[in-house]
Amino acid sequence: MQIKILKPGLLSTIQDLGRTQFLADAVPVSGAMDVLSARLANLVLGNTENAAVIEFTYHGAEFLAETDLLIALSGEGSILYTEDQELPADRPIFIPSGTRLFLKKNDGSFSYLAVAGGWKVPEVLGSKSTYLQGGFGGFEGRRLREKDVLKNTDSLSAESNAILKSLKGSASVSFPPWKAAKNDFLPLERKTIRVIPGREFTWFTADTLLDLLSKTFTVSPRCNRMAYELEGPPIIRLNTQELLSTVVTSGTIQATGDGKLMMLMADSQVTGGYPRILQVIAVDLPLCAQLKPRDEIYFEILGRKQAEKLYIEQELNIRQLAATIRTKY
Amino acid sequence: MQDKSNSAGLFEIYALSEKAITLNFGNVIDEALLKHVTDFKHTLSQHPFPGLIAVVPTYASLSIFYEPVTVYKSTLPGINSYDKVSAYLQSLAGKNHTSLTQQSSIINIPACYGNNWGPDLDYVAGINNLSTEEVIKQHSAAEYKVYMIGFIPGFAYLGGMPETIAAPRKPSPRRYVPAGSIGIAGNQTGIYPLDSPGGWQVIAQTPLKMFDAGRANPSLLKAGDIVKFQPVSFSEFRDIVENPGYLNAY
Repeated sequence: MQIKILKPGLLSTIQDLGRTQFLADAVPVSGAMDVLSARLANLVLGNTENAAVIEFTYHGAEFLAETDLLIALSGEGSILYTEDQELPADRPIFIPSGTRLFLKKNDGSFSYLAVAGGWKVPEVLGSKSTYLQGGFGGFEGRRLREKDVLKNTDSLSAESNAILKSLKGSASVSFPPWKAAKNDFLPLERKTIRVIPGREFTWFTADTLLDLLSKTFTVSPRCNRMAYELEGPPIIRLNTQELLSTVVTSGTIQATGDGKLMMLMADSQVTGGYPRILQVIAVDLPLCAQLKPRDEIYFEILGRKQAEKLYIEQELNIRQLAATIRTKY
Repeated sequence: MQDKSNSAGLFEIYALSEKAITLNFGNVIDEALLKHVTDFKHTLSQHPFPGLIAVVPTYASLSIFYEPVTVYKSTLPGINSYDKVSAYLQSLAGKNHTSLTQQSSIINIPACYGNNWGPDLDYVAGINNLSTEEVIKQHSAAEYKVYMIGFIPGFAYLGGMPETIAAPRKPSPRRYVPAGSIGIAGNQTGIYPLDSPGGWQVIAQTPLKMFDAGRANPSLLKAGDIVKFQPVSFSEFRDIVENPGYLNAY
């Protein structure tokens, strides 16, 4: 299976679920910003969840099916169209060779295009993810450009082959009547981001902590794969001691020197020296990834036990979904 | 809030996220603390637990990343994955440390000082009332300890620089600092492993690749290593770049 990029869109890169083996060398995790969508796009095709996907930022990208394709799109950055019709997300789609595909506007930031077998790129330091600042991983260590040609790996799972066989009969675009019910994995209230207190939570004034848990925060235009800046009431420190550089991770919210909040994302530095005021719970990170400049959010505080329980429940549900797809085919 | 000191009082434990725990050994830059961190990292590497993903040392802390479902399903004692990992780490701390007695070898870093390779050498000399030759002499005479790798891939924070050549950061960072640049910020010196923006005063450049994603060990330096800078001329610098075999001499 093969596609040619006709328009790359704002920022399109190859990602998987990240590079975790070289954190001690300060190599960022990278990987999909919205890991839930990346995983679901793979699972509905019968892929392993860590197979390489294309991460598209917003809409505007276009590509050509240079062969027949079995693909899936998941995520809220865009909606997939052919010249004739809108295509559904979160399910496998058969695309005949020669079809042009377009990514049109949706409500969020990122979407993920998976292909049966996964996109074929070499593994660098144990991952297929692109790390742009380091210039390695993914497709030649860079963002996708016009005329790039991407192929899948030829190692399709038995499920992928069965899904392909079930859809390939028709000469036109086709997809099954089922889809992964992604909303089952996400909270109903999308504006509330659940957090646990960060290690330096108590370094701030009582007023700041009250504001933090009651006022609105707005995503600033300064957001990228490393971090999203949040604007809101001033963040004032009680304790002004210097923090010795220590480990931070995706979801860590740092309070910077000028009283702003920085929510660290997939390409986050491994270490940082700003106080860590909050930590977004793992199951809400995909929601955060889909935020856009000017979106408003609230924080709701949980205990770490609750956060872990939500995480483990979600992981078991995702495994259940993968098992269901396996028994279907 | 969630702190527990272990029985030996060696560290505090806290949850960094659902997938990581941090052991905090202290809040200062200190060789004794660094030794606790590296010793504990060594002990853990010899006694890993199911679900362990990565162990990340900093100046005075060790963060342990793990896969919560694997930990949760393991037979480690505890009611959730945080408790299981936390109890396991405390039990390790109670054991006799197999201290890392192995002598760190000195890693020599060739450095071409001044001119285009060290545009801030004159500034560093000026604010310390030294000649540039004296700055080079002091910077290359000292032995440095790698305290931690952080900031960007392979960036080593080096301790042990003489205070007589200290210099403040640039008021605003340069947009482009080439890979290999050797800089000073306050009492610290460090080497930029990748082209990147940066605010350190750049006094020299090394032709060595401090970070290479194509190597099995991508970072040339790791926490605990000892580093010395060896002044080289421009022609030696060029020889090293053009003839990587020459590197074996270092």
